[in-house]
Amino acid sequence: MSEEKLRVGVFICHCGTNIGGFVDVPAVVEYAKTLPDVAFATGNLYTCAEDGLSNIRNSIKENNLNRVVVAACTPRTHAPLFQSTCEDAGLNKYLFTFVNIREQCSWVHMKEKENATEKAKELIRMGVSRARLLQAQEEVQIDVIPSALVIGGGVAGMSAAISLADQGFPVRLVEKQDTLGGFVRNLGYVWQERQEALTALKTMIDRVKSHRNITLHLGSTVVSADGFIGNYEIVIETKGKQKRDNVGVIVVATGALEYIPEGLYGYELYDNVVTLTEFEILAKNKKLPKMSSIAFIQCVGSRGQDKSYCSRICCNVTLKNAMNLADNWQNMLGLEEGGKAAEGVSVEKAVPDEIAERRRGRRGRREGGAEEAAPGSGPKLDIAVFNRDVMSYGVEHELMFNKTREKKVRFIRYTPQNLPKVSLENEKLTIDYWHDTLQLQRKMTVDMVVLATPLVAQPDAKEISKMLKVPLGQDGFFLEAHVKLRPVDFATDGIYVCGTCKGPADIPEAVEQGLAAASRAAIPLARGYVQPESLVAFVDSDVCSGCGTCIEVCPYNAIRKTENGLAEVTIAACKGCGNCGATCPENAILMNHFTDNQLLAEARAALEEVKE
Amino acid sequence: MEKAEVASRKGKRTEIEKSVLVIGGGIAGIQASLDLADKGVIVHLVEKEPSLGGRMAQLDKTFPTNDCSICILAPKMADCYGHPNINVMTCSEVVGIEGSKGNFSVQVLKKARFVDENLCTGCGECLEKCPTKGIQNKWEQGLATRRAIYIPYMQAVPRAAIIDPENCRFLKEGKCGVCKKVCKREAVDYDMKDAILEFDVGAVVVATGFDVWDPTSSTEYGYGKNPNVFTAMEYERIINAAGPTHGHIQRRSDGSEPKSIAFIQCVGSRNIQTGHPYCCSVCCMHSTKEAMLATEHIEGIRSTIFYKDMRACAKGFNEYVERAKNDYKVQYINSDATVQGSTSAGNPIVSYDVGGKSQQKEFDMVVLATTLVPSEKNKALAKALGIELDEFNFFKVRDHVFDPVDSTRPGVYLAGYCAGPVDIPESVAMGSAAAAKAMEDLMERKVYA
Amino acid sequence: MSEFQPKIIVFLCNWCSYAGADLAGVSRYQYPTNIRTVRVMCSTRVSPDIVLELLKDGADGVMVSGCHPGDCHYINGNYYTQKRVELAQRLLKMTGLEPERMRLDWISASEGEKFAHVVQEFVTKLKELGPTPVKKDEKLVTRLQAAIDASRYFRLKVLTGKEINLTTKGNVYAETLKIESLEEIMAQAAEDEYRNSLILQLTHSKPCSVKELAKEIGEPTDKTLEHVVSLRAKNMLALDHIEGSTPKYKAILIGGA
Repeated sequence: MSEEKLRVGVFICHCGTNIGGFVDVPAVVEYAKTLPDVAFATGNLYTCAEDGLSNIRNSIKENNLNRVVVAACTPRTHAPLFQSTCEDAGLNKYLFTFVNIREQCSWVHMKEKENATEKAKELIRMGVSRARLLQAQEEVQIDVIPSALVIGGGVAGMSAAISLADQGFPVRLVEKQDTLGGFVRNLGYVWQERQEALTALKTMIDRVKSHRNITLHLGSTVVSADGFIGNYEIVIETKGKQKRDNVGVIVVATGALEYIPEGLYGYELYDNVVTLTEFEILAKNKKLPKMSSIAFIQCVGSRGQDKSYCSRICCNVTLKNAMNLADNWQNMLGLEEGGKAAEGVSVEKAVPDEIAERRRGRRGRREGGAEEAAPGSGPKLDIAVFNRDVMSYGVEHELMFNKTREKKVRFIRYTPQNLPKVSLENEKLTIDYWHDTLQLQRKMTVDMVVLATPLVAQPDAKEISKMLKVPLGQDGFFLEAHVKLRPVDFATDGIYVCGTCKGPADIPEAVEQGLAAASRAAIPLARGYVQPESLVAFVDSDVCSGCGTCIEVCPYNAIRKTENGLAEVTIAACKGCGNCGATCPENAILMNHFTDNQLLAEARAALEEVKE
Repeated sequence: MEKAEVASRKGKRTEIEKSVLVIGGGIAGIQASLDLADKGVIVHLVEKEPSLGGRMAQLDKTFPTNDCSICILAPKMADCYGHPNINVMTCSEVVGIEGSKGNFSVQVLKKARFVDENLCTGCGECLEKCPTKGIQNKWEQGLATRRAIYIPYMQAVPRAAIIDPENCRFLKEGKCGVCKKVCKREAVDYDMKDAILEFDVGAVVVATGFDVWDPTSSTEYGYGKNPNVFTAMEYERIINAAGPTHGHIQRRSDGSEPKSIAFIQCVGSRNIQTGHPYCCSVCCMHSTKEAMLATEHIEGIRSTIFYKDMRACAKGFNEYVERAKNDYKVQYINSDATVQGSTSAGNPIVSYDVGGKSQQKEFDMVVLATTLVPSEKNKALAKALGIELDEFNFFKVRDHVFDPVDSTRPGVYLAGYCAGPVDIPESVAMGSAAAAKAMEDLMERKVYA
Repeated sequence: MSEFQPKIIVFLCNWCSYAGADLAGVSRYQYPTNIRTVRVMCSTRVSPDIVLELLKDGADGVMVSGCHPGDCHYINGNYYTQKRVELAQRLLKMTGLEPERMRLDWISASEGEKFAHVVQEFVTKLKELGPTPVKKDEKLVTRLQAAIDASRYFRLKVLTGKEINLTTKGNVYAETLKIESLEEIMAQAAEDEYRNSLILQLTHSKPCSVKELAKEIGEPTDKTLEHVVSLRAKNMLALDHIEGSTPKYKAILIGGA
């Protein structure tokens, strides 16, 4: 690299009287001229105004400046403006540096003009020292493959895939089951619209299947995904056969499972104790037993009883089912007119196939028995919901809560210190509970107990987390980049997440998240390239000893080991935080634009004596 | 009113296929705008206040991480305002729209700021010289005053002054004119007029957020009568380091530090009489946060939350409440509560019941989690946009289950609280979701109507 | 006689602390003129040797400020900042320079007033301590150089880099280390490396005996002998000559004297 003679230009702003009224700017300009390698120094009234900017542009050209220092307000407002002004004049923007003499000088030292002026001089001396060591940087443009991979064909995954496809991008949708729809397939009716779940899903499934931009892989899994934003090499496996492909972005939508309340409330011990999902399966197949009373127990296995979290959706699912029961929707109770059980409603198998299959799949167990509906059972169904709080947040849920109470569904509060107990007394399911208002212990016999259990992370989340190098948070759900402001991004650029694999969510929330992930994922695809700022780390492979400590501390998985075991930075993923640079035990890592030498030169310049 | 042709800030004419209107510059609107702009779309972002930021800018910290609200919002506001593809119009409202999905013609009323925001540097000299003081500062929930010329708040974007025409001596009577004399940038322009701007867009995103309901009419809470009864938003401004009391929690009656605070939930909400039978979904969490922050600000303070149901039901929320109970010793009492009078020292007396028995307790301060209602301007906007509202003035969604961001008019999408009570992460997700829908329209590939 | 004005270098992270300092300006909170700020993208950028270098070069005080734990823009950077500053403090204590001349603060973008207070506090403290003794005390400079060398040495850097993971995620055997155990290891390692580096610094230009070295370091002779032996084994120290019956050692310089 040729050693050209340094010619630094210093532009000092008055900012009207904001700086000029508290700092002797002309004196500072004169001082700047005395600094080594400064070829030009001037003051501007308002550097950010058009005349100030022209002044910079013209001065660069007329004086052959190859470094520029602007001393004015905070870089956080106008740095990009001045950088592009330098570029306009043919000067690489990384050869520009900003000195803050307003927010961090004139405005905080308003009554000490002399000291403030001395400080301003030193700050500019520091800036010039830094500028001298700056190097031009070329920003790399990395092409983005304009296609996406969506892992998971449930509601969230389908929403993401359809939206990406509608935004014009080819999508590979990979689903491990042989059908689309995910968890929603299990449900009976969808919320208060009472649409049948499978019917409701049909529109979405048809769109996925017929969309010309979506390539569907059913019964398949993604077995590997290597690369970085814009360039992922993936391998999809279907029934033993592998297919390679290349995509630009990845969306994770792998869903969740229902918690199995082993050992709780008589589950699998007594007949007719089922989970919420099992209840829905029974209800939609019209396989509910003859009932005159039913109890739902909320928060089974959650909120500290095993899992620490609240699963958000279960109260509302219970409300939906309670409403359907109260209205005997679609005659799910199998009653005749007048409320009597219809004759000959036989239950062919003890428990419908779907449930038996699910339970068998978990542990080969005996099949539970459901009682046959006998004619002449009582007309009204007594519905009780044992809860710790009813999480019917928002408008629709709260209105539904009101409606269920109007329909005389009883809500009985319990505390974790006083759990309701389910037992069999005289061959009837009995619930022993504490009634808080009456301050009495009471008993209730019911024909069925439905346990509302939380959603839990899929067991394959761990593999996916390792494969994509994305983190799992508490309880095995995927951890997003920022809980508040980046809810569907991963910290690693180019990978996004939506739906219940991130945490419990209901259908509209899963749809929103799927759309949101599609919006985010489409950004690099639409742009066609990524151009990361050159504030990145660089490993000197001559010095690197391959200890891998840098890889451990990088929050963005932006460093990897090459074939010879040495560290290499993936520029597209590096954010320039400097953790690796400060960590490297061999001092082999350089932080572009914020090197040790640059920082030390800047700081040391403050410690020199001010030459008058 | 002058008609003015608008151009994007770079002076180029916008093309229908590549532009979207976003109404509302809070976090949902900002997210939608950034997503679209990053994809090369021209975004016209219309905000009725003089600054972006919405409600999130008024909060101190946000749950469940308790990180500083404005700290995480400000970079996004700056990105938005500085983005070459986003045309931010503050002090503006949408007054009309014509057309259909993919092809809308929009009319925006840009109210006069009387300060040229392109010239104003936010130096603040005019503020110091304005002789008209003591005007209630709405942004500070009335806890502070401002002058006739003012900057909305410290971190406002754009950081430019604005003149309140109802209180400015020059605009009302032709007297004074000091701010103009003092401004070195010649940014003050008393002759500025309201203008109607017209442009064409391919899609519309509505993200108008919420207002805080005034609980004065619910006399059982004593708000307005008892000075030591606050709304939660007032409390947020009080504990904010950049707020009117510099982050010191102090009573209104005597400026002293409270040793006990009661938080009452569902004030006005889940209540048919007030017309808000719904749940605002965020108050259980924000009161928990506020109780935790009280402990961080004042040693030994005792906080009690009176609640109906503790709706801590998103990621990390239940654990957050447990932390409040165990680490911060916040007491949770499952009961309705009201404020029945106060002691001679001005301490509100809270009435509640436990186990069916009525109880009363004195507190130094009471914070009401009042209903967060859809913006009062939604009615007019709904009419202008031709979209439907529900009975509570939330914008109606096309299908609650599968089309949660579609309004009742094709091509107009919804994001954030204006469509139903949501918290910040959901508002952000909805902002992105609405942006995706808008983008789909621009790509003209939507199959179903 | 003019009052002593301390010269303070302050490192501010771009996303939180620099913004907080800006807010102090916007809000016009006044504070003394003694600080000189250097912007970094993340506080984690500031390695211990940078802080120690500046103290050696005559800064009366050095401050590092970043986002509050949990708020780091780069997710986990500030947790490492804490570890790095802890190491710098450990080494600083061994040199004998007042540890109060270095401080770590968490200042968020909305804490303008706090920034002003912290600066005022630091200036007041440094005025009490007086000007840095570095300008008049060559031995202190040598000791600070030793601290710098130690902080740059492989062992301390790798420990600092792995501390957090070792105590949370565990090592390759999935064993997590207790924080107290790690503290002990760090303390011992810091002491060892500091003393090793000090021996090398002291014998840089002048050969010294074990006794002389022990006196300078301020530890028992047998301990110093252990260090000397280990440095010899690593080929960093060599026997220079024998005076009477006393061996004198000199640091082996790479690439010539």
